[in-house]
Amino acid sequence: MDTLTQGNLSLLAVIAAILPLFTFLWIVLVPGKEGRGASFAIFNISLSLLISAFLFIKVWNTETIHEQIPWFSIGSTVFKAGILLNNLSVLMLLLVSAISLLVHIYSTRYMQGDPYLHRYWAYLGLFCFSMLGLVITDNLLLLYMFWELVGFSSYLLIGFWFTKDTATQASKKAFIMNRLGDLGFLTGIMILFSQFGTLDIHALFAQGGLVFESIIEGGLWKSSGNVMPEYWLTIAGLAFFFGATAKSAQFPLHTWLPDAMEGPTSVSSLIHAATMVAAGVFLLARIYPVFDATVLTVIASVGAFTAFMAATIALTQNDIKRILAFSTVSQLGFMMIAMGVGAYAPGIFHLVTHAFFKCLLFLAAGAVIHEMAHLKEKTAVDFDHQDIQNMGGLRKSMPLTFFTMLIASLALSGIPFTSGFLSKDAILIQSFEWAHDKSGLAKLIPYAALFTSLLTAFYISRLIFKVFFGEFKLSSLLKAEFKVHEAPAAMKYVLLVLAVFCLFFAFSSNPFNYESSWIVKGLVITSDSPLSGIATASSHISHVLIPVVINILSLFVIVLAYAWYVRSKQAPDFSKNFLFRFSQKQWYFNEVYQKGPVNSITNASRFTYIFDKAIIDGFVNSLGKVGILLSSIIHWIDRYIVDGLVNGIASMAKTIGNFARHFQTGRLQHYMITMVLVVLTFFIIKIFFQAI
Amino acid sequence: MIPLSHFMMISAALFCIGLFAVLSKKNAILILIGIEFMLNAAILNFVAFSKHDKLASGGQVFAVFAIVLAAATVAVTLAIVLNVYKYYKTIDPTKIDQLRD
Repeated sequence: MDTLTQGNLSLLAVIAAILPLFTFLWIVLVPGKEGRGASFAIFNISLSLLISAFLFIKVWNTETIHEQIPWFSIGSTVFKAGILLNNLSVLMLLLVSAISLLVHIYSTRYMQGDPYLHRYWAYLGLFCFSMLGLVITDNLLLLYMFWELVGFSSYLLIGFWFTKDTATQASKKAFIMNRLGDLGFLTGIMILFSQFGTLDIHALFAQGGLVFESIIEGGLWKSSGNVMPEYWLTIAGLAFFFGATAKSAQFPLHTWLPDAMEGPTSVSSLIHAATMVAAGVFLLARIYPVFDATVLTVIASVGAFTAFMAATIALTQNDIKRILAFSTVSQLGFMMIAMGVGAYAPGIFHLVTHAFFKCLLFLAAGAVIHEMAHLKEKTAVDFDHQDIQNMGGLRKSMPLTFFTMLIASLALSGIPFTSGFLSKDAILIQSFEWAHDKSGLAKLIPYAALFTSLLTAFYISRLIFKVFFGEFKLSSLLKAEFKVHEAPAAMKYVLLVLAVFCLFFAFSSNPFNYESSWIVKGLVITSDSPLSGIATASSHISHVLIPVVINILSLFVIVLAYAWYVRSKQAPDFSKNFLFRFSQKQWYFNEVYQKGPVNSITNASRFTYIFDKAIIDGFVNSLGKVGILLSSIIHWIDRYIVDGLVNGIASMAKTIGNFARHFQTGRLQHYMITMVLVVLTFFIIKIFFQAI
Repeated sequence: MIPLSHFMMISAALFCIGLFAVLSKKNAILILIGIEFMLNAAILNFVAFSKHDKLASGGQVFAVFAIVLAAATVAVTLAIVLNVYKYYKTIDPTKIDQLRD
C-alpha cells in the first residue's frame, strides 16, 4: 500500500466531498425532465460512502493526514487550503456519507411524485457536499465557508415546499438564526488570526500546536508572535461557542430547529442526524484546545439548560416531528455538556450514536406520516396527519416501523444493550466526575443531565405509546379498502439498517462499558490542553452506580407512561396547569423573540422605511424636480437662441444662394451681358466719381 | 485731313454693332462675326493712333499682328463651333445651357 501516499488519500477525500456537488451541478446545469437525478444522486453519494469507508480504514488510529496547497496570499501572509484527516474527521466523513446515503435511498420513495423532485436531489447534493467539505477542510476560513454553505443549503431544503407559507417562514428563521451564529464564528476566527497569524487548524490545534504553546501569564495571553490580554482568549472561545449554538440549536438560538420541521421529513432527518446540527459540535471538537475553563463551564451550563428546557417542551407537544425536534435540541444539549465537562470523546461518541438513532426516529416517523397522509388523501377527511393524538395502535399495521422505532427510542432513553446507553452514560459519568471537585451551581449540571434523561425516557415513551399502542383514533375512517399498512420497501430496509446501528455491538464489544467503545478509544485526548485545565481522572464507583440508578428510574418513568397512555382509558389531564401550558408554548421563546428583538427590528426597519420614503426620497425627488426645471429653461434657450442663430445663418446663406443662382442661366450670351454691364458700370462709376 | 475723332466714332460704332451681334444672335457663326467686328474696331484704333506714334508705324505693325492673330483665333473658334455642332446638333447658343446649375 505504499503507492497510496498522503497526497493520494487527500485527493480521495476531496473526491468524496465533491461527488455530491456533481449531483447538484448536473441537475442544475443540464436540463431534463422533472424529477430526474435520483439514481445519479444515489450513485454519487454511495461512491462517497465507499471512498469515506476506505479513508476511514486507512486513517483511523494510524496517522494524521495533512496536505496543503497555497490558496492566496495577502502581503507576506500565505493562506493555505488543504485537507486534514484525523480520527475525528474520518469518523465524521463516514457518518455523514452513510447517513446521507440512507436518507437518499429513503427519499426515493418518501418524496415520490413530488413535482420538484429534481430540485430536491440537487439541494440534497449541495447539502452533503457542504457538510463533507466542512469535515475534511484544514483551514478555519474554508471551514467557515462550508459552514455558511451548510446554512444556505439547509435554507433551501427547509423551504423546499416553498408554496407553504410556514415553510418559507421557517427557512428564513433558520437562515437568520444561523447568520447570528456565524457572526460569533467569524469573531472567533478574527481573534485567533490576530493572535497566531494563521488559520491552519492543524498548526493551531494539533498536539503541540500553536494553541498548546501559548501560555497565560500574569493576565496576558502569550503566543510565540503576539501578546494580548487574557480575556481575549475567553472571548474567542465564547464567540466560537456562539457560532456553534446557532448551528447546533442551543439556547438562545434554538428556536429555528423545531420550525425547520416544515421541510420534508427526510430532510429533517438529515439535518438532525448527521449534517447541520452536528456541524456545531464538530466545530467545538475541531478547535477544542482553544477553550479555557470559563468557556467550558459556559458550554456545559448552556448545554445543561438547553437539554433540560427542550426535554420539558417535548413532554407536551403533539406534533410527532416537533417532539423529535425538541428531543434533538435536548440531545445536542447533552453533547454540549460533554464538551463542556471535558468529555470530548463521549461527546463525539454521542454525536455518532445519536445520528443513527435520531435518523431512524425521524425516518420511522416519516413512514408513519407518509401512511397517515395517504389515509388523509384517500378518505378526503381533513385532519392533522402529524398529530399523535390522531394515531394509535399502529404497531399492528406497521410492525416493522414499530419495531425499529422502538429500538431507536430505547437507544434515546439510554436503555442497556443499545448504543445510546453507552454514549449517554459516558456523558453522565464524566459530568459527575467533573462536578465532583466543583462547587456551587456547577454541581447542578450533572443532576440536570440526569433529570433530563428521565424526561427523555418519558416523552419518547409517550410518543411510542400514543402512536403504536392503544386503539387507532381515526378507526371510523378506515374501511375495508383503506388500510394503514407498512412503508414501501426502500423505506423499510433503510429503517432496518439504521436499527442495527442503534444496538451496542456496532460500537462496543461490551454493552455496559463505554470505555471499550472503539470511538472513545480512538478519540481520547492523550495529553491535556494547558488552557482548559482538565484532568482525566476516573473513579470507578460512579461507573457502576450511575447507569444502574438512571436505568431503574428510566424504567419507572416508562412504566408510568405506559400506565397513563395505554392502560388507563384517560391520561391525566394537565392542560389547566400553568407548567403544562408553559411547556406546550415552548417556554414562550418564540413569543418573547417576536415581541422583543423581532418586533423592535421590524419597527425600526419600518421607521427607516418611512424615513427613506419621505425624507430621503423627498429630497432626491425635489432635487430631480429642480433639475427638470433647469433643463427645460436650457432647452428653451438652446431651441430658440442657439439653434435660431445657427438656423438664421444657414437660411441667410440659402437666401443669398437662391438669389445668386438666378444669374446662372447657363447661356453664354447672358454671361456676356452681365460682364459687359459690370464693365460698363465700373467705367461709369469711375468717370462719375472722377467728375465729382 | 480726317480728324482722329472720326476714326474713333467709326471704331466705336463698329464695336457697338459687334457687341450687339455677339449679344443677340442665335447663331454661333454670327456671334463669331460680331467678335470680328469688335476686333476690327480695336485694330482700326491702332491704325488711327499710329499717326501719333513716336516710333514710325508701330501701331500699323501691331494691327497687322492683330489681324494675323484674329485669323488664328477664327480658325480655332470655327473648329470649336464644328465640335459643338457635332455634340449638340445645334449651334444656337440659347439652346446650349449646360453651364446652368
